[in-house]
Amino acid sequence: MLPAISAFLGRFSSLFRKRRMESEMSEELAFHRDRLREKYLQEGMSASEAERAARVRFGDAQRWRERLREIWSFRLLEELMRDVRFSLRLLWKSPGFTAVAMATLALGVSANTAVFALIDSLLLRPLPIPAAHEMVVLTMLEDGSRSPTSFCTPFFRSLEGQSDVFQNVFAFVNDTLQVRADSGNVNVHGVMVSGQYFAAMQVKPLLGRYLTPADDKEGGSPSGFAIVISEQFWKNWFDGAPDVVGRKLTIANVPFTVVGVIPKSFMGADPTQQPQIYAPISADPIIDAPRDHLHGGTHAWWLTAMARLKPGIELDKANAALQSVSASVLHESGGEPEWIKDEEMHHFRFGAESGSNGFAYVRSVFRKPLLTMFAMCGGLLLLACLNLASLLLARGAVRERELATRRALGATRARLVRQLMIESLLLAGLGTGLGVAFAPMVSHALSALLSGGNGPDSMVLDASADWRLYSFAASVALIASVLIGLVPALRATDGDLNEQIKNGQHAQQKHARAKLIPRLLMISQVALALILVSGAALLATSLVRLYRTGLGFDPHGVVNIAFSMDKQQLDGDPLIEIYRQIEEGLKTAPGVKEVSFQSIVPLSHRNWNGTYTTPGGTRQLIWLNSVGPEYFHTMRIPVEQGRTFTWNDTKTSGMKIILNRSAAKRFFPTGDVVGRQILDRDKTVYEVVAVVGDVKYRDVRGPATPAGYVPIQQDPQKKPSFNAVVRVDGPWAPLVPFSRELAARLAPSIPAPVIRPMDDVVDTSISTERMMALLGLFFAGCSLLVTAIGLYGTLSYTTARRANEIGIRIALGAQRLRVTMMVFRENAVVVAIGTGSGLAVAVALSTMLTSFLYETSTRDPWILMAATLTLVGVASAASILPALRASWIDPMQAIRSE
Amino acid sequence: MPGGLFSSPKMIREENTDSGSLLQGTLEMLVLKALARGPQHGYAVAEWIHQVSHQLLKVEEGALYPALHRLELRGFLKAEWGVSENNRRAKFYRLTAEGTKRLDSESQRWARLSAAVAFVMQSS
Repeated sequence: MLPAISAFLGRFSSLFRKRRMESEMSEELAFHRDRLREKYLQEGMSASEAERAARVRFGDAQRWRERLREIWSFRLLEELMRDVRFSLRLLWKSPGFTAVAMATLALGVSANTAVFALIDSLLLRPLPIPAAHEMVVLTMLEDGSRSPTSFCTPFFRSLEGQSDVFQNVFAFVNDTLQVRADSGNVNVHGVMVSGQYFAAMQVKPLLGRYLTPADDKEGGSPSGFAIVISEQFWKNWFDGAPDVVGRKLTIANVPFTVVGVIPKSFMGADPTQQPQIYAPISADPIIDAPRDHLHGGTHAWWLTAMARLKPGIELDKANAALQSVSASVLHESGGEPEWIKDEEMHHFRFGAESGSNGFAYVRSVFRKPLLTMFAMCGGLLLLACLNLASLLLARGAVRERELATRRALGATRARLVRQLMIESLLLAGLGTGLGVAFAPMVSHALSALLSGGNGPDSMVLDASADWRLYSFAASVALIASVLIGLVPALRATDGDLNEQIKNGQHAQQKHARAKLIPRLLMISQVALALILVSGAALLATSLVRLYRTGLGFDPHGVVNIAFSMDKQQLDGDPLIEIYRQIEEGLKTAPGVKEVSFQSIVPLSHRNWNGTYTTPGGTRQLIWLNSVGPEYFHTMRIPVEQGRTFTWNDTKTSGMKIILNRSAAKRFFPTGDVVGRQILDRDKTVYEVVAVVGDVKYRDVRGPATPAGYVPIQQDPQKKPSFNAVVRVDGPWAPLVPFSRELAARLAPSIPAPVIRPMDDVVDTSISTERMMALLGLFFAGCSLLVTAIGLYGTLSYTTARRANEIGIRIALGAQRLRVTMMVFRENAVVVAIGTGSGLAVAVALSTMLTSFLYETSTRDPWILMAATLTLVGVASAASILPALRASWIDPMQAIRSE
Repeated sequence: MPGGLFSSPKMIREENTDSGSLLQGTLEMLVLKALARGPQHGYAVAEWIHQVSHQLLKVEEGALYPALHRLELRGFLKAEWGVSENNRRAKFYRLTAEGTKRLDSESQRWARLSAAVAFVMQSS
């Protein structure tokens, strides 16, 4: 062991056995003195002479012990502990300052840590599987850019056999499964996976086995369809029965056999989903009946495809291998020759991207908002640190005299700086600790805000802590400490402390440098605050405009009740008859005013479109919906011409269609529209019976799209599932049990209907904007508060320091108003420069927000002016108080108190 | 005093001479040397140096014990409580492996230094 390390350890351990060491030292010295005395006795001295000689020779035992103690003492650590105790006492003595400092810091840190936790779980965390870095997401590229669609069955099945560069190629698709329970069918969240899915994951099953390629065959394996269930589902549904393997589960009216249980530590290749049931994709015709994606050829794009690279294979090589097979896969897909030619012209090819953290659709949606949010949080934290630094600096100025006195009494400068540093580090440590403690709560709230409640697109974000989060929190704490610890460092370079003892509070020599640093800190604070406030103002204005924009219908008081009819026996007219009875039933529910049906809920991200032509040859793509009688009245969509649908518009009465204004204008720019005809691809003739107002179909943000409505009786789907659209007066909650009873009576085999208010659908469709605006406003409020505290605090401290000077001015006849202005001016300059520079940066940075803004320019002068005025108003309010207080100084008292 | 390289004049007294200070490292080297024969308590170390130096060197207690403790702290010595010749409890110091190495390097250094000094003094 190196002598230095040995000495360090020795000193350290001596801290804990001080008393024993003391007595051992005494004993050692006593022994030596006794031996000396014995020696003198032997040399012929008398007892008393020997005693005296030994004592003279030896001197004061106390002094020796002191010297030995010195050797063993851990000076640095002991002094450090003394400093910590002293600093804690100081902080404790000014609770207001300490509370404000810790609160602002905790706010900044918890917001940052919380947002980072979300970023970590959504964007950074690898899948909890062995060698996750080998996972890749398969993509399709046209003209070099990534096509956003999923894979179709022929493409995937061709790639599934690629074993040159891949160990496994697999696909999956999230789905909702209808599972038979004692009380009828219920919806369970699940995923359909291809044969090699589990082999690629390399995770051991909790019970039984996983699905294999043999399960992913047409019609399942010879023993029927197999499924794997999640640990949670096993516990809830099967009460954790140990003999669950081999038990049957009826899904979509067909028995499936449970072959294994998956541990809860692994949920699948999409980290934002928690499927309960894993079924083979070959079961799609049953599970998704009456739809069939599996045999949909190149018309059903439904699978997310991934692969596991062979060890040592690079992404480039995988891409090259995929490129070489692209053409043949395309040609073998069975797609129409025209389409294949078109794809070839666009240089269609397959590609692979890193997929170590799996594939989540929401990632593409939330990446940018999360990163923007992160930037806002970072700004807030920086603001909190600057604020703390300037408050400490101002406080230090007030303490100049104390420090100078301590210096005069023998404290070294290093020692004083160390104590100041410890004070700021304590604040930083306690504040960040508090912030990190609150972070999980904040990230929980954020992920709830982000995932838009319990809508069908809801996702699960696992924001639990991992090493990335811990190291992030640690580095945040470190950065905060450095920024705040800046203060003592600045103080240390701040001239000669000894000068102060001579001058005390009279020190009025203007150290230009000493005044510059606190001002710069405050200026950057004001600038940062303005950036946050103007960003928030832009986002909030855009949200308000988004809400004010006409949807074309009135969502308030409308609820959608989804009935899943796809797995029951009835179809055609008998099924329509059920819907009619549902309508009759719902009309009797308390508070219900109108009832109708729609196939597609506007703004719910589901859509259906088709290309129609007029006999004159005008082709137009329109967005479609099938709706019941009274639909337009229920939704409050104005009927401009013609008549709405009735129950008599059946399949046999001739195809009818209602166009919205945009579609009508495109098809028939001139003349009457009602009574004219349009044709679909199969040359089926539709008679236009009415023109209605435009409605936002897919997106609130853009203009309304051309749309057409057909009667539900003429809906082309087999066993169509419709949403009842109900306008209610008062609370809609009673409709939940009511519609459940209604469904149980009229269609006993369907799952409980799902109710969703239209307001909720609208909110979810703009949840990103909502979240950004809410957070922006929250951060802006915090930054205004922090800045106000900073401006108020620093001015109060400097005024307190100048009390004497101000007292003399007043005594000499200075007017109180002038005194107020003199003090106020100090901050006014800071705020003016700060807002000026902040505004410039805000304008430059706000382009970051462009994609979140609806009909709002990032340079809207009114918004920027409003933000500036708000900040200036708050800053003035915070600065006027200390200024007024300065003018109330009693000159006699101020001068005497010196 | 620069770097504490030189001992205070009282650290090691050369009896019957008025000559001044010796290098501080020297005392530590002598202590290590004294302990090379086996574990000893502080008094015996002082006595041994006194006798072996033909009563020329007398180690002051005020220097001896800080030196012993410093060496112990740095890991060159290991201290244990044992029983002395006259049946009393005493603190015995023992050379560690590091200490033996240190003694070697110190004595080599000393040999070089004294030879160099001798050359200088013997030159005409």
